[in-house]
Amino acid sequence: MRSIRIDQETIISLEEKARQIRKDVVTMIHESGDGHPSPALSIADMIAALYFHVLNIDPQNPEKPDRDRVVLSKGHACTALYAALARKGFFPLSALPTFRSLHSILQGHPYQRKTPGLDATTGSLGHGISIGLGMVLAARVLGLDYFTYVIIGDGEQEEGLIWEAAMAAAKHKAGRLIVLADCNGLQSGGKIQEVGGIEPIQPKWEAFGWHTQSIDGHNLKDILSAIFQAQQVEDKPSIILARTIKGKGVPFMENNNEWHKKVPTKEELELALAALGGNR
Amino acid sequence: MSALKSTRIAAIEAIDSLMEQDPRIVMVFADSIKVFRATELVKKYPDRCFDVGIAEQNAVTVAAGMASSGIIPFVATYAGFLTMRACEQIRTFVAYPKLPVIFLGANGGIAGGEREGVTHQFIEDLGIARILPNMSVVSPADAYETHQAVLKAVEQRGPVYIRIGSGRDPVFFEQPYPFEWGKAHVILEQTPEDAVIFSTGGFLLHRCKQAVERLNEEGVRISLLNIHTLKPLDTATVTRFLQRAGAAVTVEDHAVIGGLGSAIAEAASEQFPVPLIRLGLQDTFAESGEAEALLDAYGMAVTDIYETVKKVVSLKKKLGR
Repeated sequence: MRSIRIDQETIISLEEKARQIRKDVVTMIHESGDGHPSPALSIADMIAALYFHVLNIDPQNPEKPDRDRVVLSKGHACTALYAALARKGFFPLSALPTFRSLHSILQGHPYQRKTPGLDATTGSLGHGISIGLGMVLAARVLGLDYFTYVIIGDGEQEEGLIWEAAMAAAKHKAGRLIVLADCNGLQSGGKIQEVGGIEPIQPKWEAFGWHTQSIDGHNLKDILSAIFQAQQVEDKPSIILARTIKGKGVPFMENNNEWHKKVPTKEELELALAALGGNR
Repeated sequence: MSALKSTRIAAIEAIDSLMEQDPRIVMVFADSIKVFRATELVKKYPDRCFDVGIAEQNAVTVAAGMASSGIIPFVATYAGFLTMRACEQIRTFVAYPKLPVIFLGANGGIAGGEREGVTHQFIEDLGIARILPNMSVVSPADAYETHQAVLKAVEQRGPVYIRIGSGRDPVFFEQPYPFEWGKAHVILEQTPEDAVIFSTGGFLLHRCKQAVERLNEEGVRISLLNIHTLKPLDTATVTRFLQRAGAAVTVEDHAVIGGLGSAIAEAASEQFPVPLIRLGLQDTFAESGEAEALLDAYGMAVTDIYETVKKVVSLKKKLGR
């Protein structure tokens, strides 16, 4: 059984990590000249919690067989993941500005063959839970005890494959599969409810046989507590529906869907960094 | 009429022997355990056989997750549901990261789908699989070659597509022969030949042999090659025969666009252009019917092969070669 330390010191430290990830996200996108800032900002707290507190991983041994797995199903938010991997020490910080450039180890969407510490290729929406289920079943076959964490968006729950995976994971009693859903209420084309209409979402997951929780996805204490709760569930997969704000932390990006994919100018970058507590 | 032996059962028997030796090998089904006659295998390895239900996209993507974590999965279901419904999953989540997932596609060809009709007759699988980078593509002639292909597939350390039949598949190899992955298999070499036939799949190899016998009676000399591995194509051997024969016919139970005919035409046009005629599905769907009757009705009768060879030989002569 895993335990997770949840004290004030941990929370303050993780909040600082999340701020750093957000600063890296906006800086990377400004410097590389391409990317999706606001979908990355909404997952920064969950990424910080996983990479800097929850996961059993080793930057010196990125392929170790019993490492916990992370699948970023909403692959367009990869700048947050890349920032965490670099800050964790899987590769140098100097790689971050090369994001989306020719020959970079940081592809436009996550590619497991190029980026150290990255477990899964993603980007085409709706696939992460299936990949994660495969990783959980692989652990069973190999006799390993790692957890697999999958971060999905709310919009991608419009994809049929999500529900194929939901059924199969429940049937296979995938207790070591923990899904964090970044429910920021927006997708590329607009408001979730206007484009796809996934709500009410929690009863759907319950009906599919999942352990479900609903939390504030920017509250690190909530995030850690929910992950701990999910880890205790052995006979069914878990989903944590994290209510978030798209663009969180940068006031002019928050809930402004123009920033789904947009590059901040020099001035906008300075404003963003100031809002996030000063220069990088 | 040759004896029948199931390529589905042959594949499962080969996988059984692999699973005995290697604990990393598993199977993923999409409600296809019965389709592949794998009930006994699932009983033998209940913890290494996974059925995700009628959900091919999930089957492929789950296999991708497994293969990312040190497992070698076989995904076995109908050829078209794999290569068409789950095409993107094969492309992006298996082929792109070059993961060792082996796909077994049942009902390959109109003879594979026969009475089921167009929904279950897959004439596009080889072309779709062939277009994907990193993917190896094998179309075994019969149960023996299927067994060999499955054993070799796990050695490739990357994605492989293996075409499987209906389960009522003609035996082509009465005796074992040394199957070589990625090599063209010369069934008949008559030098110097008037033309060369490249074919794949047991139904059609039998027909090609019959056509060659008739042509021989008229003094027309033909070499016959079994192209079990479409990708990587044995370009060296194919080119050697093209150069010597100067004329070629391809015969496949697949659309002539994208499959064996395309592969040979691509090699010929780059290595040694010769008159070449492709037999197969001519940009058309088929219909329900018995396997041999379907092949006769859709341009793959012995007579079609015989006449096409004569046509390509006269084309060669017209060109003064």
